[in-house]
Amino acid sequence: MNGGVIRILILKDWRLHRVQVLLSLAAGGVALALLQLRDEAAFLIGSVWLFVSLIVLGSMLPVSNVINERKKQSLAFIMSIPVSAVQYAVSKIISTVGMFLVPWAVSALAATILALSRRDIPNGIIPFILILFGLPLVGFCVVAGAALITDSEGWTIAATIVCNSSYGLIYYFLVRNPAINGTFKSPVPVWSAAVLTILAGEVLAAGLILGITFYLQSRKREFV
Amino acid sequence: MTDGFLISQSDKRPIYLQIMEQIKQRIAVGDWAEGQAIPSIRQLAVDLEVSVITVKRAYLELEREGVIVTQQGKGSHVASIPGLGLRLQEQELEKHLEQAIRLADLLGIRPEDLKARLREAEGRIKKEEEQV
Amino acid sequence: MSDLAIELAGVGKKYPYFALDNIHLEVPQGQIMGLIGPNGAGKSTTIRIVMGLVQQDHGEVRVLGRSMPAEQIAAKWDIGFASEDMRLYEGMTLAWHMNFIRSIYAKWDAPYAQLLLKRFGLRAEQKIKGLSHGQRVKATLLLVLARRPRLLVLDEPTTGLDPVARHEILRELTAVMTDEGRSILFSSHNTQDVEQISDQITFIDRGRIIDSMDKEAYLDRWRRLRLEVPFGIALPALPGVIGIRQNGRLAVATANAFAPDMANAYESSGARVQAIETMTLEEIFVANVERSREEVEA
Repeated sequence: MNGGVIRILILKDWRLHRVQVLLSLAAGGVALALLQLRDEAAFLIGSVWLFVSLIVLGSMLPVSNVINERKKQSLAFIMSIPVSAVQYAVSKIISTVGMFLVPWAVSALAATILALSRRDIPNGIIPFILILFGLPLVGFCVVAGAALITDSEGWTIAATIVCNSSYGLIYYFLVRNPAINGTFKSPVPVWSAAVLTILAGEVLAAGLILGITFYLQSRKREFV
Repeated sequence: MTDGFLISQSDKRPIYLQIMEQIKQRIAVGDWAEGQAIPSIRQLAVDLEVSVITVKRAYLELEREGVIVTQQGKGSHVASIPGLGLRLQEQELEKHLEQAIRLADLLGIRPEDLKARLREAEGRIKKEEEQV
Repeated sequence: MSDLAIELAGVGKKYPYFALDNIHLEVPQGQIMGLIGPNGAGKSTTIRIVMGLVQQDHGEVRVLGRSMPAEQIAAKWDIGFASEDMRLYEGMTLAWHMNFIRSIYAKWDAPYAQLLLKRFGLRAEQKIKGLSHGQRVKATLLLVLARRPRLLVLDEPTTGLDPVARHEILRELTAVMTDEGRSILFSSHNTQDVEQISDQITFIDRGRIIDSMDKEAYLDRWRRLRLEVPFGIALPALPGVIGIRQNGRLAVATANAFAPDMANAYESSGARVQAIETMTLEEIFVANVERSREEVEA
């Protein structure tokens, strides 16, 4: 396999989206700064902002990295390079997922550390925080999968709309579920069966979607 | 060496003929001396920005007419024939004369009347030169 | 080992509203082939098949000895491809693109790249989005030329360019021929450019190859004969003459397989040959397409 070219393509994608990734990291940073404050309003804004920036990044990246290259006809430029359709598809999956995972992981980690460090926030909220972070991750996988598999702006936007509309609903049901919210105020994180099931479900969903995407991409015959 | 070659789009004649003519002109006026090396086919094609096959044809025809010689592996040069330049100039004149006769024929003018026309033309040219 | 840079044999490709039919094409090494035809004739499709970007339904495609599209990756190391619909990355500079290409291919002639920047009037630090159409085309070609690939495959390299830019590009394309191991296939509907620099010409219309041969021999086959036809004389139908237009006593015969005895044939019939003229590739192009359309309608 032409590993060298795949690496160059991934680096190229990163370079092209440098601004987007940095902006989302900056937005996350501002959000986390707000979360440090004692003010309840600031805390609320900060937490919403944190998730919104991840959702926006997760919606924009697949379109910007996958769909646009085809739309803006830069694909012909890439096709002139010694790279097969499969290699190109693989490089796209890796670069798209990578560019999301880094800001996502940093945000999730920083939020968890923040919750642990602030004494006025009970650590029992941490499992819920992780579940919440899992949502934009799964959402991103759905949108990225749609973009990579369909190559269609229409379907990708449809997937984005479906995911983004679901977040609110899912949050509503999660927060009202006694199996979840019962342990919010606990001083230590409680890993109940319900929590673990949901977390496992999120990881599985993300993995499955990416796995299917990878499999379908590896069978691509033609670029067009 | 190939400065000044002009391949014109407005000239209706095929490019290879234009190349042949300009090479012959250079030999006729003595810019390219007898026996002198001339650019290779590929080099001339690149300099003139025309296809190799066109220059090849021009060189082939010139060789057939005995104007240049191409040696495998050694390139091309002007034929080492003394008086080649003069001979080419005379060929030009003969071509023009033949053309004049053909045109006259088209117009229905007989060769005998052509002589009178020649004298008239000579008179006109003399007058123009006096006016300058 | 064949010394053909490109070889298409019996290639066909079907689309809902268009089909390439029985394409035979041979580009000898060290030569330039110009592919001409009207819009929609199949030039771009043919070129995509040559590059392995589109898979033919049947027929063999060999480029630099490699079978396409199976070996397209190996082939692309030695091919420089530029098409009219190709776009560079708007937000990046030309210098970034040059480095990008350089990082992929080991072969990059940096001094030549600098010379091209100067000749084309481009600045490497400029972002692509700030370039005019002509500059973008030249930038794309620079990226291809500086690699000095064995084969250049170019889809409409001079389309939409002003005369100066066209000349700059033709100059570099003919300069490629200094090396007799290098070849070029380019498509264009600028017949002047094709006539000027091509060694071989292929004519394509409605998915079919009409003519494919050596340019000089091709131009030699076509002539326009101007005739004066006295009243009552019927012009003979000669093989090799594809059309006669007559207006009163003057007629113009277009021959695509000219033989010197054609003039005699007309004169024997009572007509007078006023002139026998060569035709430009543009005039041949129009005559060819008109004839092919008439045949379809018949």
